[in-house]
Amino acid sequence: MTLEGRRIVCDYGPVRALAGIDLHAAGGEIVAIVGPNGAGKTTLLRVLSGERRPDRGEVTLNGSRVSGSDAAWRARIGLVSHRTGLYEKLTAMENLRFFAALHGLARSGRKLTATLDAVGARGLAGRRIEALSRGQRQRVALARSLLHDPEFLFLDEPFSGLDPEGAAGLERALVARRNDGVAVVLVTHDLRRGLRLADRVVVLRRGRKVLDGEAAEDEAAEILDHFTAGAPDP
Amino acid sequence: MMRELRWSWLIARKDLSLEFRAGGRLLSMIAFVVLAGFLFGFALDKSQVPGRAVVASLTWLTVLFASTAGAGRIFDMEEEDGAFRHVLLTPVSRRAVFIGKTVANLTLTWLITALSFVALTSFLGVRTWGSLAAHAAIFLPGTIGLSATATFFGRMSRHSNLGDSLLPVLTFPLLAPVMFFGATASARVFMALPWDEISGLARLLWAFAIGSVAVGAVLFHHVTDE
Repeated sequence: MTLEGRRIVCDYGPVRALAGIDLHAAGGEIVAIVGPNGAGKTTLLRVLSGERRPDRGEVTLNGSRVSGSDAAWRARIGLVSHRTGLYEKLTAMENLRFFAALHGLARSGRKLTATLDAVGARGLAGRRIEALSRGQRQRVALARSLLHDPEFLFLDEPFSGLDPEGAAGLERALVARRNDGVAVVLVTHDLRRGLRLADRVVVLRRGRKVLDGEAAEDEAAEILDHFTAGAPDP
Repeated sequence: MMRELRWSWLIARKDLSLEFRAGGRLLSMIAFVVLAGFLFGFALDKSQVPGRAVVASLTWLTVLFASTAGAGRIFDMEEEDGAFRHVLLTPVSRRAVFIGKTVANLTLTWLITALSFVALTSFLGVRTWGSLAAHAAIFLPGTIGLSATATFFGRMSRHSNLGDSLLPVLTFPLLAPVMFFGATASARVFMALPWDEISGLARLLWAFAIGSVAVGAVLFHHVTDE
């Protein structure tokens, strides 16, 4: 099970956000996409998840093209972003129940509670999202993204705003999913966390891939060099 | 088909829950309708123009303004913390999202319509209403067409930098036929004319309602997906 982006090009008007990126993510690995602001990380994630159609290039799953207009593909992916995407006036349980129903899952309250427990959100089920802290919301968002047991998990700066305990909990949840065979694609500007967590690190800079390799400790210095090399980004 | 209906029901129920829990927004809409009726009552010289002659037109205009504002709000709630992005990433069809949001918008529009009707007839001093069933038979297709159009363009205006200011520019020209057929038919009901003189207009309103729901359902993915 390999998701592959081939020669992905994306433009925002005259600005080229992605300039012919190749990238793959297989089941059972965490791929961290790192790079400075404006490097094209989020755009690449949106293309891989099917939210945005590339201007050129294609995204394939085991050789067959996938896109966001395909409901079967959407049923196989989960997304966590720095915006939690939860309804503030609904409780955590009501949010989970709503999204589970959209996925066609008749999940009982006990199962949904277990999903919350699994991400360290025990006791939040009956509380409205507007009453939760940033870290608590992010845990509920993670629970929402895992409800339907996705095969591909996309995360866009999921650690932003989390306290150390919340970040550690999220890391544990991602590693557990990776061990279950899920392909995790993680976008972060936090290089050190990306290096620690990922099996493979892809470094983007100004819409180009400057490094794609295993995140071994001895490569960290080289990756750091790529990360910070050259003139500052506009 | 059943799955689509279930999705639509889930979305409509969620939207209405959010709307009623937000409270303040619904209250402001109700206040708008009552105040509009109150001001129309003062602005009209009833010695020259009897309230009965204009109540139908003013009711339709009030419903148009209030429901157009409501359509924009339904998408504001979705954008609060990027929730709509996550709805679109589920297998739910765009058609079901459109129908669900139209149903939620329609429910609020019916509330506004009932309130406008009571407020305007009261403030304009209209004592004879004609048949309430006939009024309902006119407002039902009219508000369906109005809600579907406002829902579609409500989403489109959220995609644009112009936001709220774009919505009336896009919808009002398209809704001119609804205003004309609806206000004319309602006026005839107020005058207690026989249904034979009204039914043609009702059929035109149904044609607009069915057309706007069908076109919106087919094209909605163009205003949701990148």
